[in-house]
Amino acid sequence: MKNNIKMYRAKYDVTQEDLSKKLGVSRQTINSIENNKYFPSLELGLQMAQIFECKVDDLFSLD
Amino acid sequence: MKTILFPHSYKKWSSIIFYTTLIFGSYIWFSETTFEFFNMKVFSVLGDDTILRTETTENIIGNHALQWIDNNVLDELLTLIIVISGLMASFSREPIEDELIAKLRMDSLTTSLYINYGILLLATLFVYELTYFHVMVVQLFLIILVFNLIFKYKLHQHYKD
Repeated sequence: MKNNIKMYRAKYDVTQEDLSKKLGVSRQTINSIENNKYFPSLELGLQMAQIFECKVDDLFSLD
Repeated sequence: MKTILFPHSYKKWSSIIFYTTLIFGSYIWFSETTFEFFNMKVFSVLGDDTILRTETTENIIGNHALQWIDNNVLDELLTLIIVISGLMASFSREPIEDELIAKLRMDSLTTSLYINYGILLLATLFVYELTYFHVMVVQLFLIILVFNLIFKYKLHQHYKD
């Protein structure tokens, strides 16, 4: 699975720290997700999509 | 996500108690040290039959179940302290308890179970008599200890990122 979180963060000028606070997770968790070390739950994916005003499909896709 | 965990403030002091008592308990066990201060009457719920055997007969002459018996309670006290503090140290919340931490905890627990049951299987095949009982006693604490160490290592790696 690959993701575009880094790109969306840059687009919305949001740091990992800001995003982690909005989602109630640690900054390290955001880093792990961005680096494909951890695949988030559907709930977290939907919350991210809500923050970035896009669909989950825009954030995550299968290889 | 709802998880049944102790507050984060429990983690530090329960870890200190766990490792200190574990070392002290190991010393007491291996050195077979006893303190008479801990001799007292305890209520035994279950107990083995006391059997009187001769060459031709075998008679049950007593049982320690459901009665007050004399016992040195130091090992029971240490077991309680180690298990309770070990559980608290292992299952306390992290400052930010998110789903990745929950996954790391679950992975650590699974690995610990595999290691411990691996040891138990090997012990079942190759260790006999009273030594097997000793392995079981060690396992009682090893399962928490191994889980605790693996989880600490995984958390260290996680926070290092």
